[in-house]
Amino acid sequence: MQTTRYEAPATVADAVRLIQADPDARLFAGGTDLLVQYRMGVHRPSAFIDLKRIPELVGIAVDARGLRLGAATAAAVITEHREVSRLWPGLVEAVHLVGSTQIQGRGTIGGNLCNGSPAADTTAPLIVNRARCVIVGPEGERIVNAEDFVIAPGATVLQRGEMLVAVLIPRPAGRTADAYLRLIPRSEMDIAVAGAAVSVTLDAAGVCTAARVAIAAVAPRPLLVPDAAQALIGSTLDDESLRRAAAAASAAATPIDDKRGTVAYRRQVVGVLTRRAASMAGARAGAQK
Amino acid sequence: MSGEQRFKYVGTRPIRHDGLDKVTGRANYGADFTLPGLLHGHIVRSPHAHARILAIDTSAAAGMPGVMAVITGDDIPKTTARLMMGEGGFDLGDMGDNLLAHDKVLYQGHAVAAVAATSPELARAAAEAVAVHYEVLTPVMTIDQALAAGAPILHDGLTTKGQPAAGVPTSPTNVAMRMELKRGDVDKGFAESDIVVERTFTTPMVHQGYIEPHACVARHGEDGQIVVWTSTQGHFNVRDCSAGILGIDAAKIKVIPSEIGGGFGGKIPVYLEPVAIALSRKAHRPVKLVMSREDVFRASGPTSGTKVRMKLGAKQDGTLVAASASLYYEAGAYKGSPAGAGAMCAIAAYRIPNFFIEAYDIVVNRPKVAAYRAPGSPSSTFATESLIDEIARRLNMDALDLRLKNAATEGDQAPYGPKFGPIGLREVLAAAKAHPHWTAPLGANQGRGVAVGFWFNAGMNSSATVSVNTDGSATVVAGNPDIGGTRVAQALMVSEELGVPVERVRPSVADTDSIGFSDLTGGSRVCYATGMAVIEAARDAREQLKARAAKMWGTDAAHVGWDDGTAIPLNGAGDRTPLTVNEIAAKLAHTGGPVIGRATVNPPMAGPGFGLNICDLEVDKETGVSRVVRYTCIQDVGKAIHPSYVEGQMQGGASQGIGWALNEEYIYDREGHLENPGFLDYRMPVASDLPMIDTVLVEVPNPLHPYGVRGVGEVPIVPPLAAVANAMRDATGVRFTDLPLSPPRVLEALATD
Amino acid sequence: MATIYFSSGLAPYTGGVESLAVDAARVGDLLRIVLERFPALREPLEIMAIAVDGEIHQHADYIPLTSGSEVHLVPRIAGGHR
Repeated sequence: MQTTRYEAPATVADAVRLIQADPDARLFAGGTDLLVQYRMGVHRPSAFIDLKRIPELVGIAVDARGLRLGAATAAAVITEHREVSRLWPGLVEAVHLVGSTQIQGRGTIGGNLCNGSPAADTTAPLIVNRARCVIVGPEGERIVNAEDFVIAPGATVLQRGEMLVAVLIPRPAGRTADAYLRLIPRSEMDIAVAGAAVSVTLDAAGVCTAARVAIAAVAPRPLLVPDAAQALIGSTLDDESLRRAAAAASAAATPIDDKRGTVAYRRQVVGVLTRRAASMAGARAGAQK
Repeated sequence: MSGEQRFKYVGTRPIRHDGLDKVTGRANYGADFTLPGLLHGHIVRSPHAHARILAIDTSAAAGMPGVMAVITGDDIPKTTARLMMGEGGFDLGDMGDNLLAHDKVLYQGHAVAAVAATSPELARAAAEAVAVHYEVLTPVMTIDQALAAGAPILHDGLTTKGQPAAGVPTSPTNVAMRMELKRGDVDKGFAESDIVVERTFTTPMVHQGYIEPHACVARHGEDGQIVVWTSTQGHFNVRDCSAGILGIDAAKIKVIPSEIGGGFGGKIPVYLEPVAIALSRKAHRPVKLVMSREDVFRASGPTSGTKVRMKLGAKQDGTLVAASASLYYEAGAYKGSPAGAGAMCAIAAYRIPNFFIEAYDIVVNRPKVAAYRAPGSPSSTFATESLIDEIARRLNMDALDLRLKNAATEGDQAPYGPKFGPIGLREVLAAAKAHPHWTAPLGANQGRGVAVGFWFNAGMNSSATVSVNTDGSATVVAGNPDIGGTRVAQALMVSEELGVPVERVRPSVADTDSIGFSDLTGGSRVCYATGMAVIEAARDAREQLKARAAKMWGTDAAHVGWDDGTAIPLNGAGDRTPLTVNEIAAKLAHTGGPVIGRATVNPPMAGPGFGLNICDLEVDKETGVSRVVRYTCIQDVGKAIHPSYVEGQMQGGASQGIGWALNEEYIYDREGHLENPGFLDYRMPVASDLPMIDTVLVEVPNPLHPYGVRGVGEVPIVPPLAAVANAMRDATGVRFTDLPLSPPRVLEALATD
Repeated sequence: MATIYFSSGLAPYTGGVESLAVDAARVGDLLRIVLERFPALREPLEIMAIAVDGEIHQHADYIPLTSGSEVHLVPRIAGGHR
């Protein structure tokens, strides 16, 4: 009978060597999905390669340029970080929605991204905040934008031997804020039926000068929706522009019917969430000096 | 009369004796038990919902190193025996076929073989090596599919029992039973009605959702002596079912119950124990079987999905005059849904002179249903209470006034036949009217619903002993696994009778060798029936203590009275100094040896219970998401022995009912594969989904119990389905007839309304 | 004389008789007399429990009857565990 090894490399280079040498090995950080699936017999890797012992994968750094989140940083560490919460409230809200208090103590930002789930709560807010993913592999380092990281349900741009090391987010301009909303039938411990993240920048007169909109759980991957952003830019986030942004988000959605929701329902609700998230982000940006 | 009784201990709220172990994680549950040489079992389950088993090849699995036993349906004898239990009974042949299928698999997850090996991983690998060849058959997944002409038949030998409908073939059929309840002239009743409402309601198959999966360890000795450690609602029931199915004497089996992490009716049937015994017999080593959560959802016993067509007629003044209903309940793979109970409960709250109710028990390719809190009543009550709400709206009457006008009371003939004794429905309705919740203002997008519910509450067999220790403390032993705080309730009863403080009473759940036969924990019967045995046993011990006091005084026992833990001299005993329990206990060895009070009872099923819920719901009309913002449960509990655990029963039942109403459902694909066998997508409410649930205990004593106790555990799940749906109607203007009220369904209805 | 009622839709098995006064000391005796008169009741009786003066009994054969006792046939609570 097959046994599963446990490895805990101390450097990125060691981790890369291990996964390159053993295609059946799996990287793991929090293990909140991987270990559950393992116990259910979904997969049987030859080894678990624990990334939490690698210093550069764990931790938060904020400076004038922006934010660096180590890929294996636990959700709870992020939600407790004051500066990150102040600058990216929508992202932190999303991190705070993942699983439960216990799961947030283990689950990591990189894990949420690398799962490649169309419904991941943190991916859409990373996208609207122009996050870049730092990937290291046998060929060295490369950077991929968050909106390009997930390519299909469960699939990412990571090639054999590659791993996500960190996520970089540029410091937001003045009067810029984000928001994320998701719909679940319960209040927690659930997976998004639909989600929407919005980031807006307002000028002194309250006119939106820049915007990004991303939607979750309504397409094979989290989706940047430029049409929805265009509906907001140049407006004061009035009802009509919000309505047009909602319509653009609904139009961009290509959801499926499944046990969590119907096509029609998801399409409609993602618009509602987009409108509400845009309104929230606008209020936050407007409240800044 | 019980109502005038004064209590010293009953009605107080001491910390339960098993509390610390439970909140610190020290309590031992089914999967915690282990033995030297323990083997781990794994069950091979059918991937198909409906298939004929052509062949099972176990040779590869049996040949794997570390695999000690492999068994199939051939190791479980086919039997036609039945085991009586309470008002129902078990068909042990069906139960055995459910343990390990003999000829056909009848639902996805149906067990077909089992292995025992030296590690759980090896057992799983061996289970995967068992090759089963199936002829896949068309599954019958719904009531309509089961009743359709030419429907695939699950059981060739099944015939319609009870009162088959005229002109409908009784064989071959998927209708296992049909029954009728009738009174008066229903056509005339509707003709005389000023207002008639009629709708069809559906409720989905739902699971009890107990936290602890089924688990057991069995050891079969070479001498045929068997010990089973298991998490169950009834260890005597496990013993007798295992003995009956395997064809061995009950006296060969000792069953030791663990603590139980919830059951709600679902831990009554046996799923694992006889299989573990058969594996252990073959392997000559103890065997442990533990279900995964997925196994629990796929292959334990949820409750029926239902379809109820109901019609009610009323006069302009709100007087109900006629009711008719057709109830269709899914039994799952084998006969035995709670359709009959659903029929009997449907209109039990009301005086309706003319009615006709028919109920059908229908087999489908889903797991065999088990009991679930007031089995059958929530679904039929959902229909009744939704229509009552509609009548109140049409007549512009207060929903509580309409119910009060028609409420059943003592002396009324219940729809199922006998006359009600003292019942508390009117008192419950009056308490609702007086409650501030009923008149509190509602916020935007909020609605309020109300509904009542009824359940019988069982009697059945119970045994208890009460021992007095030489230091004056006492031990009470009974045979019912403690699910809802029954141990502390039993200790309180002993305290009341003996005058021994509750912390000096140790309540204990004994194994099948250590106490007399006791029916299972269920039917809301433990505080009532087992409580009765405990009170009688304590009184027996008290009489013995009085006799010992007489001996110490040198008088006749007739001259000894008793007051709050003290033997007092009566006329004829002169001026002797009263003796406390402690003083009498210290001399037990001198006065004749240990004192053990004992009692066995089998009281009638009695003490019908009524409850009422008020629900405030807030609806997001753009997303269909709803949230319960205020909830109040009012119930006639007879007499609350430990009020905290009575309130806990009410809150727990309401929570489960709210989940049933809002989000819970078994979701199958067309081939009969369950798509949500886990708590992620089987959406029970989590703590943050619910507000603090308010409770009001109404106490109309049950004359059949010495303290007036009624069963309280089941009534609480009956009203919520309609209370929530009625609140949704109030908030949105839409009458919902199909549960659950999930966001997509609500939004769709709001869009088309 | 005790009275047994067949009000629960059992009329087809009793030829329309809705109640019967029977001189019997115990429920078991009463049921024997009733079944002699209405043999078709035997099968529906299998799913019935017995209520005597409002109390539902699992095992009623030895329950004594008095003059004026009311006996009802009540469907058994299968409870999903038949």
